[in-house]
Amino acid sequence: MKRADRAFTILLGLAFASSAILIALLLTLAPRVEQLLSRGAEDTADVVAGLVILLAVCGISLGLAALFRQLVATAVLIRGLVARKVVLPSSVDVAARGLDLAGRIDVVDDERPFSFCYWFLRPRICLSTALVARLDTEELRAVLHHERYHLRQRDPLRQVVARYFAAGLYVVPVVDELLSFHMLQKEIEADQEAVRASGEVHSLASALYKLLPDADDVSLGLLVPVSSLSVTEARIDQLIAGRPLSFALSPVSVALSGGALVAATVLVAVQGGASVAFAALPPLYAVPALLVCPASLLIAAAVDGGLHQLRPVAQRLFARG
Amino acid sequence: MSRPDLRRLRRPEKAEEKFLGPLETEVMARLWKRRSATVRDIVEDLARTRELAYTTVMTIMVRLHEKGLLERTREGKTYVYRPAHTRDEHRARLSRDLARGLVAEFGDAALAAFSAELDTVDATHRAALRRLAQKDSRETR
Repeated sequence: MKRADRAFTILLGLAFASSAILIALLLTLAPRVEQLLSRGAEDTADVVAGLVILLAVCGISLGLAALFRQLVATAVLIRGLVARKVVLPSSVDVAARGLDLAGRIDVVDDERPFSFCYWFLRPRICLSTALVARLDTEELRAVLHHERYHLRQRDPLRQVVARYFAAGLYVVPVVDELLSFHMLQKEIEADQEAVRASGEVHSLASALYKLLPDADDVSLGLLVPVSSLSVTEARIDQLIAGRPLSFALSPVSVALSGGALVAATVLVAVQGGASVAFAALPPLYAVPALLVCPASLLIAAAVDGGLHQLRPVAQRLFARG
Repeated sequence: MSRPDLRRLRRPEKAEEKFLGPLETEVMARLWKRRSATVRDIVEDLARTRELAYTTVMTIMVRLHEKGLLERTREGKTYVYRPAHTRDEHRARLSRDLARGLVAEFGDAALAAFSAELDTVDATHRAALRRLAQKDSRETR
């Protein structure tokens, strides 16, 4: 199993396990909603229940919003592109020969050079006329090899699913980190596939180079501050060195995610403070240890996860600005 | 071993025309060549190939000034215009905006793109990729 697939499997496993724990917690606390709405919070257990329900509502909303946003954005993008579809240029026909992509490539009229794989169950490849005009046959073939990898792996579908879980499970920030690694590793593996299929690295490197924005006198590195390697930089490193990308989850995310899941399990076990076992303990020990501490862990993880979610939005706003 | 063919790596230079329009491009080309000029200078310069009214050229140059592409200083009763950026700087800005525009437009869509985040490549990686792309011997790794 390749690293991207492994990351995706771990992501799904973690997502399902986390969802099960958090849904159990929500179901435990759901009966209290009516009481909270009518009478308000009467004790610490009510406050904790109210906060956890609020976090759950945020998670459900974020997940659904991510799903909705992706589907709408994809539909709008495809609608716009379909309107600009042109007849397949002969150069694309030649480049795609023998790649088993008949009827799966669209070329759209656009002055910006781009290519991508889109749609879910039966993905397609989209190339812009600017990209076709800019690349020679071998470079075009390398790009098609890259996209064919995404197409065969149904990567757009994986992306929707992974982004949905990463957004909805914002209290488990590890899921978001796994998503980032999965997406980066996918690009690297698509490049590796293109290099392997082409038998050389030059065509792909040349295609990538020709698509970089011009930067003769202006250092884009200074204009666009990046704290770590961008996807393209990591891909370039991989093309040059061929070493596997080092990956380690952030200890803070691991601690917060683990803390949040343990906290949720504790809250389920004590039924948010309503269980007999909880009532049997002296409140001086039970309330801080079994209610306040777990709730604090959940909130800390939620804040960290929320910031993770906001980062791409801020980046896009920055890109628009 | 034959020398790498650098022409193969050269990118198209028409991007600026997509954003400036043909007349604006012509005016900018002349200003980049002359470094500074009045509206009258440009009208006379353009007159060698095409007849354009003074007011038309003035409107174009004022618009370019408003877009931040030209700077101007008053000398007596007339304005002297100068390009705000070199041609290469201008081209770099345009292609960066194109790349950023793509990221912004495709950001939420579920797609796997060959050309993503291309505007976040630092000079070191750019140079390394250029060297790799220039290797005309089709090596097997």
